[in-house]
Amino acid sequence: MIKIDSIRKSYREKKVLESLSLEVKEKEILSLLGPNGCGKTTLLNILSGITRQDEGNVYVNDVLVSGKAGTRNVHIKPSDRKVGYVFQTVSLFPHMRVQDNVAYGLKALHLSKQEVKKRTADLLNFVGLTEYAKFYPNQLSGGQKQRIALARSLATEPQVLLLDEPVSAVDPQLRESFRLELKNYLQALKITVVYVTHNLSEAFVMSDRIAVMGNGHIEQIGSRTEIFDKPSSSYVAQFLGINTLNGKAVKSQDGLVKIEANGVVLLACASQDLIGKKVIATLKPDNIFVSKLPKSYFSGEAGNSVEGVITEMVQMRSNALVTVDAGFLVKTRIPLSSIKNESLSIGDKVYLHFSADSLNVFSDNSSENILRI
Amino acid sequence: MKHRFAHSIPDKIIILIVALIVITYFLFITIPLLAVFLRIEPSQVSAQIRNAGILEAIKLSLITSGAATLIAFVLAVPSAYFMVTRSFPGKTILDTIMDLPIVLPPAVAGVALLYTFAPKGLLGPLFNKPGFIIPGSTIAVVIAETFVASPFLFRSAKIGFENMDKDVINSAKMLSGSRLRVFFTITFPLSIRAIISGTMMTWARAMGEFGATLMFAGNIAGITQTMPLAIYMFLYSDPLAGIMLSIILIIISFSILISVKLLEQKRFGTKK
Repeated sequence: MIKIDSIRKSYREKKVLESLSLEVKEKEILSLLGPNGCGKTTLLNILSGITRQDEGNVYVNDVLVSGKAGTRNVHIKPSDRKVGYVFQTVSLFPHMRVQDNVAYGLKALHLSKQEVKKRTADLLNFVGLTEYAKFYPNQLSGGQKQRIALARSLATEPQVLLLDEPVSAVDPQLRESFRLELKNYLQALKITVVYVTHNLSEAFVMSDRIAVMGNGHIEQIGSRTEIFDKPSSSYVAQFLGINTLNGKAVKSQDGLVKIEANGVVLLACASQDLIGKKVIATLKPDNIFVSKLPKSYFSGEAGNSVEGVITEMVQMRSNALVTVDAGFLVKTRIPLSSIKNESLSIGDKVYLHFSADSLNVFSDNSSENILRI
Repeated sequence: MKHRFAHSIPDKIIILIVALIVITYFLFITIPLLAVFLRIEPSQVSAQIRNAGILEAIKLSLITSGAATLIAFVLAVPSAYFMVTRSFPGKTILDTIMDLPIVLPPAVAGVALLYTFAPKGLLGPLFNKPGFIIPGSTIAVVIAETFVASPFLFRSAKIGFENMDKDVINSAKMLSGSRLRVFFTITFPLSIRAIISGTMMTWARAMGEFGATLMFAGNIAGITQTMPLAIYMFLYSDPLAGIMLSIILIIISFSILISVKLLEQKRFGTKK
């Protein structure tokens, strides 16, 4: 549906996108997830045609919309790409009534007056704001504005919809309900959606697949579980709040691989091909069981049991983020009830128990060799 | 307590000094304006209004400042849009040069225009034909006023275009392929207040233009003698006429400024 091929974009000296490639499937909702300033909006602007990339090609529906065809430069106008775009700033036309905002794209299609009127009414009905047709944008709430912006972008019947942080313009206490509302709209539309967000849980709720962006390119793309269970780089793992540790796969034992990291030996389910190589292991905070007891019935034979000291505890709503120094820093998430039962506090000596298959190991191709979590 | 009391005295003195400064300044500006109004009896006004010299100057001023404002609008608004949306080498230098007439002494503008449009000036052969010479003509007045006053509109329009939310324009571009439609339905209406206030400032400046007009166009009754030039001429020959013209100019300027102020306070969407 959408194919982005080796895009490069710099602003003056600053590289924003570097050999970025991405494919979006027909009618899927894909989240572009990444920290602020990683180039997500630039990518949307290139997809929409508002910004021109320095190099690389963009295809929508197998048609080259921007780039080089042989020696010929192609750049199709934003309005001719069948792409709808809802900007982060919402950007309704402040001097036009809601109905005229929605009808703006329709009027460019040279439809009859009745047709424009009918389609505007349909779109307003779709976002549930029919009674606000004669209002001006500044009389609407953040969520209402966002819904009008959505209706306006849908007027030209785009095949692709680009949404840039659509929830950020909504009041914080209403974001949760707006997210669900938006999800319903997007599912009803059955069109291809690229959804930009820096919020992990939002990406999880909204999308079919997630593309994690960083350092100017796509770090990993996959389903929620693929990304969360098997982050393919320490960047992705760290962005998702997953522990990463650098080490070396030393030898095999009972079909498992022994990994040495900062003086600690861990057992992991990993490919035997990795033996002798530098590796990165990732470990989800939820997969770690913390106890004051050294051996747990939980860890069995294929388990790991690592000694450490609690250095930090941050209490959340139903659990606590506990950092343990075990020669390397490990973040764990512990239910508040367990903390109470085990009477855990900062400075306590504890054991981290986790199974061999909870470690996700891949070879470390980067030159960086610092141990960090 | 003693300490506190000791501190309250200089406070009062400071307030007093500041109050004196403020009052002095307000009076310094308002008294001279008032002085003009006090020099004429209400009974003399009707006679002055029928003074042919005055009427001629008003008519000429309205025509030339109107023409200058119109020309400024046609030239400065698209140029301001170009300046805001494009970048090119030397842009800052060009931008500064374009603003120069605002701070330049009008006498310099007059000299500059003479050396450009006079028969022996840089562009003289292009514009001066046998039997028609630009300096000393009504056209010269329009040129002088446009030169001095148009940068106000240029600046104001630039600010209007610059302050616009780029994403609003981009939203429109996503929906409509016609640049002209986007400009006239979105860009222009959203910067209209800046453009109107710039237009009014340009008009006010053109009405008050004196130095450049005197240098470049001369002071010929009915041809180049606008209101400010007429005031200068009437100063000794017919003081009452000069006072009357001054009053008219004060009223016009006040009306323009207050309109600009009201315009800037207006917001979109307050009407239902």
